[in-house]
Amino acid sequence: MLNVHFLTKRFGDYWALRGASFSIRSGEVLGLVGPNGSGKTTLLECLSGLLPLDGGHVRSDEPLIPRTGRDVLFYMPDGIVPWPDQSVAWALRFSAALHGATPAEVAEVELALGLGPLGPQRIGTLSKGQRKRMLIALALLTPQPLILLDEPFDGLDLRQVRDIGPWFRRVAETGRTLLLSVHQLHDAARVCDRLVLLSDGRVVGEGTLDELRIRAGLPDADVEEVFLALT
Amino acid sequence: MRSPDAGSRRLLFGKERRELASSRAWLVLLVLLGPLVGHAFITAVESYAEVSGAGGGPAALAQGVSPLDGIVVPTFGAYAIAVTLLFPFVAIRLVSSEKQSGALKLLLQARPSLGTMLLVKLIVLVAAWLLAWLPGLAALALWRAYGGHLAAPEIATVLTGHLLRATLTCAIAIAAAALTDNAATAAVVTLAVTLGTWALDFVAQVHGGLALALDAYTPESALRTFESGELRLSLVLVTLVLTAGALLLAWVWLPPSRTRRQHILWTLPIIVGTGVFVFGAAQLRQSWDLSEDRRNSFAPADERALSTVRQPLHISVFLAPEDPRLADLQRGVFKKLRRTIHDVDISYQGAGSGLFARPGEHYGEVWYALGAQRAMNRSTTEPIILETIYGLAGISPPANDPVSAYSGHPLAVSPRGAALIFYLGWPTLVIALWWLTRRPRTAKTS
Repeated sequence: MLNVHFLTKRFGDYWALRGASFSIRSGEVLGLVGPNGSGKTTLLECLSGLLPLDGGHVRSDEPLIPRTGRDVLFYMPDGIVPWPDQSVAWALRFSAALHGATPAEVAEVELALGLGPLGPQRIGTLSKGQRKRMLIALALLTPQPLILLDEPFDGLDLRQVRDIGPWFRRVAETGRTLLLSVHQLHDAARVCDRLVLLSDGRVVGEGTLDELRIRAGLPDADVEEVFLALT
Repeated sequence: MRSPDAGSRRLLFGKERRELASSRAWLVLLVLLGPLVGHAFITAVESYAEVSGAGGGPAALAQGVSPLDGIVVPTFGAYAIAVTLLFPFVAIRLVSSEKQSGALKLLLQARPSLGTMLLVKLIVLVAAWLLAWLPGLAALALWRAYGGHLAAPEIATVLTGHLLRATLTCAIAIAAAALTDNAATAAVVTLAVTLGTWALDFVAQVHGGLALALDAYTPESALRTFESGELRLSLVLVTLVLTAGALLLAWVWLPPSRTRRQHILWTLPIIVGTGVFVFGAAQLRQSWDLSEDRRNSFAPADERALSTVRQPLHISVFLAPEDPRLADLQRGVFKKLRRTIHDVDISYQGAGSGLFARPGEHYGEVWYALGAQRAMNRSTTEPIILETIYGLAGISPPANDPVSAYSGHPLAVSPRGAALIFYLGWPTLVIALWWLTRRPRTAKTS
């Protein structure tokens, strides 16, 4: 679907991305995995066109991103509190209307993420987990075929992570592609079809967990051991 | 069938309206406008009554008393304070809150363009400002209820001035919010712009020259022109061009996707382009005197006579900017000459009459030149100056039209009921409406 080539991004003297390259396949749940400060958020913001790139490019069937990025992908940042004085129900309705989602789609997303009871509540008063579920809902109400979610499991409890994981897979089965930035390795391994390991702004591994195990030379290792071996 | 763009715009209007309604800055502005307008109106009505003879003052004072100066301008003067010190915060909040909350990142990925978003914000803010006029309009309605006189063209001109000023303030605040990282810095930038125009006003009064020419287009000075009942095309266009320039700056600086190089490369042409358009608009001489007492115009016969003058009129004034005679000349004669004669060029030669400066030998002279003819007189009186110009142009002074002079509209009433409406009724109404729309509906569930 997309091929990311040698993306570089610098903030002053600090290189946040040092030539990151990987591919995104249509209909997959791809996990962008790495420790804090590895460049995950910067990579997503550059892909979405919200941050200017210093180097590299992204190829797709369409012309270059970010020029057409708005049509191809949607990026949901982590830690934002959009429209804190408005209600959850309004934010969902507004986002759905803005992106052309149907009421049935809104109802489905609301149900899947358990947002129904939160409808009248102001966004600024939501807990971290509630807010995260609302942000995921807003992202999934957009029409773009590729959704970039920054830390979608951050703030969610174990049960919510277990519920949302399979639902992400069902979304991917409808033909949409999800790129999830995750720093919790076990969550990523449980939910994602493939993983991209990012360390210090570089991609140090890409593939399924089994492929990464082979590459790390640890056929029986868990995801943490694989990550530590490759970084 | 409605187009997707029209639907998006409708959604954006709805969003901005909701955001504005939930803004505490907007609430504070609306609440404070009641007492501000009320105090201005009550004081104006009481002063008007005194001038009209309520306190047994000289009967001559009542002649020529005008509701424009006595009621409309002071009442809406409260809005000049609000638009300078309160309204920028409302405008800044509408941009900065989305920037800081992350909502901007979501909106930039949606279908509506950034230009549409900024324009919608400006329109909603201007509409909000029109809503904030309710206390002012209520004051004028009260004045009418007391039996007072109002002239619609005058009021329309004053309101046009206030509307243009608010529009420019909004655009500057939006640009400041786009240029800076947070609302506090944006507020500092916006207030710095206002202070800059005040400083220019001061410099213009002291030094004249280029500062005086520029000062005519500052929001303060422009409003003073509209408050005199003069609708000047150049002021309208300059304000609109500056508004457009500020919005373009916001368009360049708001998206985080632009590089520093792009910021600089796009900002320079915007500044230059705005400057060129402002210069062009400032050359327009078209203006309309909509005051009831025709204070910005010569007598009709004089206007007809002066409009036949085709040569450029050069005036050299040897007066210091702070000299009250210069102010008399500008208000009483030069302003009218500019409106009547096609090409008037005024140069000020009298700087340097400060505390320790010695006036030159020509100080106090005013030279009028028309073609090869030159004449000097020191008068600030309209008929004497007109006589000088007629002499230079070789025109016989016209006979005065037998028109009746403006007799004024004296009225000695007390502002009954106004205190109750503006000090209690309006703030209570605003707070009640805000509470009804904002009361919490559910408790936090987890």
